[in-house]
Amino acid sequence: MDNLALILVEVVSAALCFVLLRFMIKPYRATGEGRYLGLPLGFGFLGISYVFMAVALYFESFRFVEEIKWLQLFTQAYAFAFLAATYYFSKKPSKNTRLWWNITYAALIFAAVVSYLVVVEPPMFGLPSYKTADEYFRLFNIICLAYVSVHTLRSHVSRPDPETIWIPFGYLLLGFSQYSLLVWSIDSSFSAYVGAYFLRLTSLLIFLFVSYRVFYGSRKAPREEGILDEKAPA
Amino acid sequence: MAREKHLGKKGFWMKKLPRRDKMKIYGDLLFILYGEAKTEKVVLTRVQLKINVPFDRLKTYIAELKELGLIQDEVSLKLTEKGKQYLREYETVLDFMNRMGLTYR
Repeated sequence: MDNLALILVEVVSAALCFVLLRFMIKPYRATGEGRYLGLPLGFGFLGISYVFMAVALYFESFRFVEEIKWLQLFTQAYAFAFLAATYYFSKKPSKNTRLWWNITYAALIFAAVVSYLVVVEPPMFGLPSYKTADEYFRLFNIICLAYVSVHTLRSHVSRPDPETIWIPFGYLLLGFSQYSLLVWSIDSSFSAYVGAYFLRLTSLLIFLFVSYRVFYGSRKAPREEGILDEKAPA
Repeated sequence: MAREKHLGKKGFWMKKLPRRDKMKIYGDLLFILYGEAKTEKVVLTRVQLKINVPFDRLKTYIAELKELGLIQDEVSLKLTEKGKQYLREYETVLDFMNRMGLTYR
């Protein structure tokens, strides 16, 4: 039970991701475009990865902990890959890239299923050292999050609005949390480990804050005379 | 894509608009009709100019929106409560996508 605080943070992070999933599915439901499916899938996988980590921390002396940690690594990497793919395809005209986003998402899901099978059936393939793999996966996650941060930051710069700066900031914090975990896995720095959890929770709270403000907060019309403007005539 | 320009037939620079899917056209059309509700009667040619689609296709879209119960044609074309609700939700999601840094085209 030494890990109680860490388990609690993992559970809270997972809960935040599953709440965010509810908001992130809305662009797909409103537009009906498959390319936006990566957003809910990304946050869903992220939530599942935190659940795996909480389970691994809770049952840390059990035999199957290593397998769960491997599942967590894969799941988190797929989460960030889905997010990066969504942002990549969102800037392309939908008609030209429909086939590509279908192939990409299908390939990611296929890779996820295969990698889970490899972890569950270890005698078939010898897995490399978890610690080394962890560092490579963190690097991959950082690259994906850097791409998403740059994309959202460019989107903010092209249409400057104080409301749109929060999301790139959130993704940057999520990227820094991965970087902190990378630092921790290299030099076992305690402050990097705690900092990673703090940064992650902050970023998820930022996403929740932005989503809540849009859907439940004081509404502001995105267009000049939007229907959300209460002064507009009925 | 919106920033791309090409030389039009008449020799002046024209803005090349990105292609819209049906969902976006519905959203734009409802928004325009909502704005036109201020006027006494909705003039379809003015709507057509604003939405930038051929007139025959505009009539098809209007018929589809009527069938879906999003607009009604009593004295003039106007949004039903369901249409206003749809437009409100559509605008909120677009606002969310804008804040998330997602491009919808």
